[in-house]
Amino acid sequence: MAAFVQLVILGLLAGGVYVAVGVGFGLVWGVLNIVNLAHGALVIVGGYITWQLFTAFGLDPFLTLPVDAVALFVLGYALQRGVINRIIRAPLLFTFLLTFGLNLVIVNILLLIFGSDFRSVTPTYSGQGFEIGGIVVPYVRLTSLGAAILLSAGLAFLLSRTRIGLAIHAIAADRDAAQLVGIDLRHAYAVTYGLGAACAGVAGGLIAMIQAITPTAGEPYTLQAFVVVILGGLGRVSATVVGGLAFGLVEAFGQSIPGSGSVFANAIAFGLMVLVLVTRPQGLMGRLR
Amino acid sequence: MIATADSQRRWRRLFLIVGAIVAAYALLAPLTSLDAAQSANVPLLADKFWFRIATYVVMFVVMATAWNIIGGITGYAAFGNVAFFGIGAYTTGMLIAKAKWPFLVALPLAPILAALFAALVGLPLLRLRGHYFAVASLGVGVAVGELVQNIDYNGQPVFGGASGLFLPIYAVGHRGLFFFYLMCGAAAIAIAVTWWVLRSRFGYGLIAIRENEEAAAVLGVNTTAYKVGAFALAAALTGLAGGIFSQWNVFINQDNAFPIEYNVQMILMALLGGTGTVFGPAAGAVLLQLLIQFLGGSLPISIDLPFVSTEARPIVAQVILGLLLVVVVIFVPRGVIDFFGGRTRLSLSYLRRSLRDTSL
Repeated sequence: MAAFVQLVILGLLAGGVYVAVGVGFGLVWGVLNIVNLAHGALVIVGGYITWQLFTAFGLDPFLTLPVDAVALFVLGYALQRGVINRIIRAPLLFTFLLTFGLNLVIVNILLLIFGSDFRSVTPTYSGQGFEIGGIVVPYVRLTSLGAAILLSAGLAFLLSRTRIGLAIHAIAADRDAAQLVGIDLRHAYAVTYGLGAACAGVAGGLIAMIQAITPTAGEPYTLQAFVVVILGGLGRVSATVVGGLAFGLVEAFGQSIPGSGSVFANAIAFGLMVLVLVTRPQGLMGRLR
Repeated sequence: MIATADSQRRWRRLFLIVGAIVAAYALLAPLTSLDAAQSANVPLLADKFWFRIATYVVMFVVMATAWNIIGGITGYAAFGNVAFFGIGAYTTGMLIAKAKWPFLVALPLAPILAALFAALVGLPLLRLRGHYFAVASLGVGVAVGELVQNIDYNGQPVFGGASGLFLPIYAVGHRGLFFFYLMCGAAAIAIAVTWWVLRSRFGYGLIAIRENEEAAAVLGVNTTAYKVGAFALAAALTGLAGGIFSQWNVFINQDNAFPIEYNVQMILMALLGGTGTVFGPAAGAVLLQLLIQFLGGSLPISIDLPFVSTEARPIVAQVILGLLLVVVVIFVPRGVIDFFGGRTRLSLSYLRRSLRDTSL
């Protein structure tokens, strides 16, 4: 029983990272109708910013998260405004290819700058945790989950309570009607993508504390963000939170199956995703649109 | 800009003549590497190195042409076709290495198994549309590679595991030549199949599905059967390429039988050449694969990139490839075959129009 509870706790804690990775991806997909294959690359950019600030200035990694968010927002805004906006009216295959091209460029520029060495962020409290009744809770994971929930809440607040958030909702509902009521589409699209990138940056900062990163470490996260968003359901931040936590649980239990180790994690995740897509395409929490 | 009928015909003739000459040279030059030709001093020599590059190029011709059937003609953005390549490679590989079958007997099973697998996963997957199909097929591509590497039975990896699978070398004179022409045969089959599809009732049904699936269904096209058929056909051709690859390369593992980047490369090739056409994907495959090899510095003719050290070269090549991808998608979304076919001419106004058509 204790082992089961431990597994649930670890799964939920690991889900924090997936929530952070998923919310930005889901926002861009749900509003702009872009499956952003560069998401993982943006995540890793955030990771490197955190690593750089931590090693060069000794900043606490959690304090670097706002820097990640701001830097990635600017990068994302520029990418959408300058490049991705050019193909918004093209078939979906083109957005796939374009974002894959951006992914290739970003990952390889990171390789040129940082090389392919593993980098990790290890504050003094990493690896420590507390214990309640035989259940171990690592500090970094717990704080990451908290940060991810905070990020999602902030995003949900922004989307529902601010002017630009309402504009983003309007775009998601009907792009042309949104333009008719005076929303500057180019700007609003760029802000949406920037917000998605900012979430990716924060997720990258969290990931850098949990695992060693390389420029190519982001690719699995793009795929996992897919699964998280599909699991939860497209279109709402809260659904992505549920999807992320569910994904963490599935991964934890998948890895605990005797003899499977961590190698089947992706296969299990994708099997689950295909199952959800075929049987309940609106996701666990989603509404049919 | 629509060219006049006359200049269109002239361009098209020129394109066909130049294309035929290039294809004839590419097909015949390898023969000059035979001993007899060497001693007779036949010009246009090709060395051993050429076969590897040329065979790779032709392999991508097969894959891009196969992708075109599901992605270009049917309009379903399959992102996991590399799974079929890997299944073909491992089918042939296992039959040769473990069951000791002769290569030419094992090879036909590669496309059959790949097609069966495609039909099996296609039935649920092809019910999905748009992004969902693309994502789910990508998931299948990744998951199959992972399963093949990690399935154990009694503690023994079934498919060679992480250390891969070694095949005995196929005993045939002029191995390089043999596999080059075998791959060319596969490419010829792929192109012939595409040609047939575009002129058949089956192909019209697929195009109807691409243009409007509901309307096609109303008109009596059995959309499920047609889509699964197109998917299985694409899988069979891709699996054939994989089967040839495994015996040619003698060693297969997850990295070379299920490379994720092939998924995008074959799509980009089809797109660069022109989707939905017979020769477009092949032309795109030749252009792009030669460019990739050139940038990677593995062609006999090569230039030094300025300010780039030898170690950084492959990385810079990837950056250039990514930028190229971005530029192609933004500026020539209909593929370059239009320029060669004489339908349009490359001009500033063409680029500006492409940009305006898709911009926000």
